Amino acid sequence: MRKTIFTLILAVMANMSVAQEKIILLNEGNWQADNGRISYFENGTVMSNQWFRDMNGYKLGDTPNDIIQVNDNLIAIAINWSNIVQFITPEGRAVAATEDVPNNRKLATDGRYVYISSYGHECGTVDGMKEFTKGYVAKIDINTFKVVAATEVGYEPEGIAYYKGHLFVANTGGYAFQEDHEYETTVSILDAETMTLVRNVDTRQINLYGKMSQSGKYLCINSPGNYYDIQAAAIIFDCDKALQGNDACFVSLPYAATYNCTTRDGKFLAVGSRYSYYTGEYQFNYITIDPEEVMMSNGSSGVEQSLPGTVLEDIKKISMPYGIYVNPYTGYIYATDAGEFVSGGALYQWSPEGLLLGKHKVYINPAHFLALPPDGHFTGIEDVTSTEQEDGYMYDLHGRRIATPQRAHIYIKNGKKVLK
Amino acid sequence: MIRTSLFKKITLCGILLCIYISHVCAQDADTRSTVTPKELADTLSSVNVYGRRPLATRQALHGKELQALSTTSIADALKYFAGVQIKDYGGLGGLKTVNVRSLGAQHVGIYIDGIRVTNAQNGTVDLGKFSLSTMETVELYNANKLDDCQSASEYASGATVYLRTRRPANDSLSAQLRMASFGTYMAKANMQFARKGWCGFVDIEGLTSAGDYPFRYKSEFEDTVGHRDNSDIKYGRIEGALFKGGFSSHIYYYYSERGCPGGIVRRLSDKYTNVGREWDGDFFTQMSYNWQAGNHRFKVNAKYTNEYLRYCTDYPENQNTAKVNNHYRQEDIYGAACYSWRPWHWIALSASYDIRYSELNADLKHFDTVHRTDQKQVAALQINWRGMQLAASLLHQHYKDYTQTHTGAADPLDRFTPAISLGYTVKSLTLRAWHKKIFRAPTLNDLYYTQAGNRNLKPEYTKQWNIGAEWHYSSPRWNASIQADGYINKIENRIVCLPLKGTYTWSMMNYGYTYCRGLNATGNVRHSIRDWNFSLLTSLTWQRDLDRTDPDGDIYNKPICYSPTLSYGITGIVAWRRLSLTVSDLHVSERMWSYADPEDVLKPYNNIDIKLSYLHTVAKKTDIGICLEVNDLLDEQYEHIPRYPMPGRNYKLTLSLSL
Repeated sequence: MRKTIFTLILAVMANMSVAQEKIILLNEGNWQADNGRISYFENGTVMSNQWFRDMNGYKLGDTPNDIIQVNDNLIAIAINWSNIVQFITPEGRAVAATEDVPNNRKLATDGRYVYISSYGHECGTVDGMKEFTKGYVAKIDINTFKVVAATEVGYEPEGIAYYKGHLFVANTGGYAFQEDHEYETTVSILDAETMTLVRNVDTRQINLYGKMSQSGKYLCINSPGNYYDIQAAAIIFDCDKALQGNDACFVSLPYAATYNCTTRDGKFLAVGSRYSYYTGEYQFNYITIDPEEVMMSNGSSGVEQSLPGTVLEDIKKISMPYGIYVNPYTGYIYATDAGEFVSGGALYQWSPEGLLLGKHKVYINPAHFLALPPDGHFTGIEDVTSTEQEDGYMYDLHGRRIATPQRAHIYIKNGKKVLK
Repeated sequence: MIRTSLFKKITLCGILLCIYISHVCAQDADTRSTVTPKELADTLSSVNVYGRRPLATRQALHGKELQALSTTSIADALKYFAGVQIKDYGGLGGLKTVNVRSLGAQHVGIYIDGIRVTNAQNGTVDLGKFSLSTMETVELYNANKLDDCQSASEYASGATVYLRTRRPANDSLSAQLRMASFGTYMAKANMQFARKGWCGFVDIEGLTSAGDYPFRYKSEFEDTVGHRDNSDIKYGRIEGALFKGGFSSHIYYYYSERGCPGGIVRRLSDKYTNVGREWDGDFFTQMSYNWQAGNHRFKVNAKYTNEYLRYCTDYPENQNTAKVNNHYRQEDIYGAACYSWRPWHWIALSASYDIRYSELNADLKHFDTVHRTDQKQVAALQINWRGMQLAASLLHQHYKDYTQTHTGAADPLDRFTPAISLGYTVKSLTLRAWHKKIFRAPTLNDLYYTQAGNRNLKPEYTKQWNIGAEWHYSSPRWNASIQADGYINKIENRIVCLPLKGTYTWSMMNYGYTYCRGLNATGNVRHSIRDWNFSLLTSLTWQRDLDRTDPDGDIYNKPICYSPTLSYGITGIVAWRRLSLTVSDLHVSERMWSYADPEDVLKPYNNIDIKLSYLHTVAKKTDIGICLEVNDLLDEQYEHIPRYPMPGRNYKLTLSLSL
């Protein structure tokens, strides 16, 4: 027994030391087909393209839209069309789920609460059902998994970030062409503790839709425009200045940042296109944004038309870019290709220098990433070293030695996970 | 005399047509040696190529056989034909469209008495809106019907479905009441007359159904049990028709309100439903007149259509989608003139001109009224010489749009497309080969719908090649036929809605090239002895549709999604005097719905329907009838679209009275 436990610990530790790259990838699936899936990628191998189902025996739901790590033991997933906020452990086990926030979109956290934007007009809170004309942000207590407060912001709030006790919410008004209201142009600032609106910052760009990345005090916000007269823009937003009430707290850049992410040195990578229904033509851009320089120069410098290594050239060849990500722990770069939408998408991996390492088959519409910390602690990045146990035997995930491995099971051999 | 020879040919054709026609109709044909003026007019309205139809690939359901099948709408009848695939999102009021030989629903033209049912907005016709009770025949022609005096628009679709309105032969009054599963109640009344060469009818129907049918998804990963909410429908339909000789006219109004249920996805409870509702108001009136003078034939058609559609998702309980409440109205005026000339008995030449003016209004943002003129001309030639048959046509189409929308009108479309058919008949065997090239023009939605429309769309082309053979046997008691057609279809520049790269928006695009090979076969046997009648109708489709879009793509040369490789239908009808039993089995093989995972397939299914009906004469000219139907006898839970479950086993009880 003791030996087993010892072997288990050694195996797990050995595994951790090797598994520097652990990526959870949300595949949105097809809308209303109930086929949202999670791919789990570890050290150059897709371990599973239905990780949630493997771990829990049931399906994730329809159109997962965002994923964040809340603390060492908890991950939150917004499953939009299922109206579910799903909580899992970093091992993939479902812990809790709530449907009190229908039509949920994007997530943020301070480690104690989860904040979530919603396009819906109803929210089930501890104080009963709350109704809103526009969209809202809900605050979920991770001890009870109940909504403790919800506050109205603009129509169809999308990106959400937590910074210095405040929430920054990008409003889209994304249904504007179908509903009887105009596009939104504001970023709503809420006090996270009291959940009250501090102020709305008018960015003078419409439809702040899609991915929003955060790098310290800076946000990178995409405005796709309306695809007719109003062109797409990327907004660099300084949260500190905004909190100080400074009107010059953002700079608009004439680029699209449809898919964007934060690098380890605090920059933003962005891929996007500006499209016009008049001409039917695209203008693609692949850029690296230095937010500090953009803010200082008021947008006249700080944007480079380049991505690390061969990333730019490789992404250009992708048929339908659908997400870009840098592992905050290791600097490895990832991008996804949605392909032809009915075929499985692909995950591309590059080294931190931008050297293409591989292309992996994932599931339909791979879009949203979360890197797991190599050492199990999601804040701070440390390299953990330990002696590797290389005995050549095969162990299962419970540390038991296996004589005859079965197909399609995960085992540990010489400290590395292998799939039979 | 042209006429005499024509009638001989028609009589001959009557025999040939036994291939498809019910016993009853075959008897009609036999009696045509003594043709009355009225019957003359009837036959003229659908004159065949020299009384021979085999040149076209045709399947038909007629009179009693049509009524014996478990059918309530045109879509139900079409599913018995080879090469037909029904698309249905479920729900009692679900939109039903047909796809023939994988060409796509918008390539299937639906014609009522030779005049096309159109929808300028989205190009699809919901077959659920038309009743079978006023129809004499439902026919499917791959490529063209090939009459010698056809309007140009009859040449303008990849596959054609002809609905022929019944012409009453006597005065009668009938009524029907039906009760069925899922809270369905239907009432129908028909009044018809025939006197002094005039005949006509008025038909009224109303239906209400609660829907909310149960479903279950059971697999290794789920056991979801629930009700298909928001799948109700209510409709009313009133129509009338009037005929005299070469004149026919039809007036129709349909109104409905229905729920459009969404896909069944993971939910923690049934707290929220994704609802959309649709209201339709469709009106049309049409007339047609044809006459013959010597070896010249003339036909004129006219039609006015007014369609209203409201789509609404603006409900408090609807948390997920945009709150849409849009109203669309389209009007359509159509006229056609056709002329054919038969200088010698073995050759006919024809020319026709069609014009259609459509107008679409909608309260979408950034949308403005769109007008479209659509003109078509055709020149056609038909030859029938010693068993050799040839039909060739050249169609010219011109589309022009006018609009003040932001993006402006699309460029006019101007195209020529050919079709050619060859046939050879020896005794009871006919061999045929045909080719047809045709396109569908982008619809007004495709071009101008706010934030999706693309005014630069090119037409979607289909090219079809077909070789086939048919054989029949007929004796006083036996009647058998076999028909088989092998085909190759190519579809180019498919018009589809795709996401735009590096944006968060979708747009209509030309994308996709499909290559299909297939085989359609039908075999029917009928036997009658004393008071008994037996029929066995079978159809089979084998098809391989390959994606040929992107030679460098992962899915190049893979089968396209949703297309079954094999499907078949077997229907047996046993009738004894006025008691009749029909059993039918439709099988559709496995269909993949994504390339991403071998798991992403729709299971094969068998749909077994049973119908038992009895007619009893209570007094002179007074009949009462009772009919019991069981659909999906095995209660198979199947889907046409993943997560859109269809109703399982259900029952229908119908009582009828006719005076």
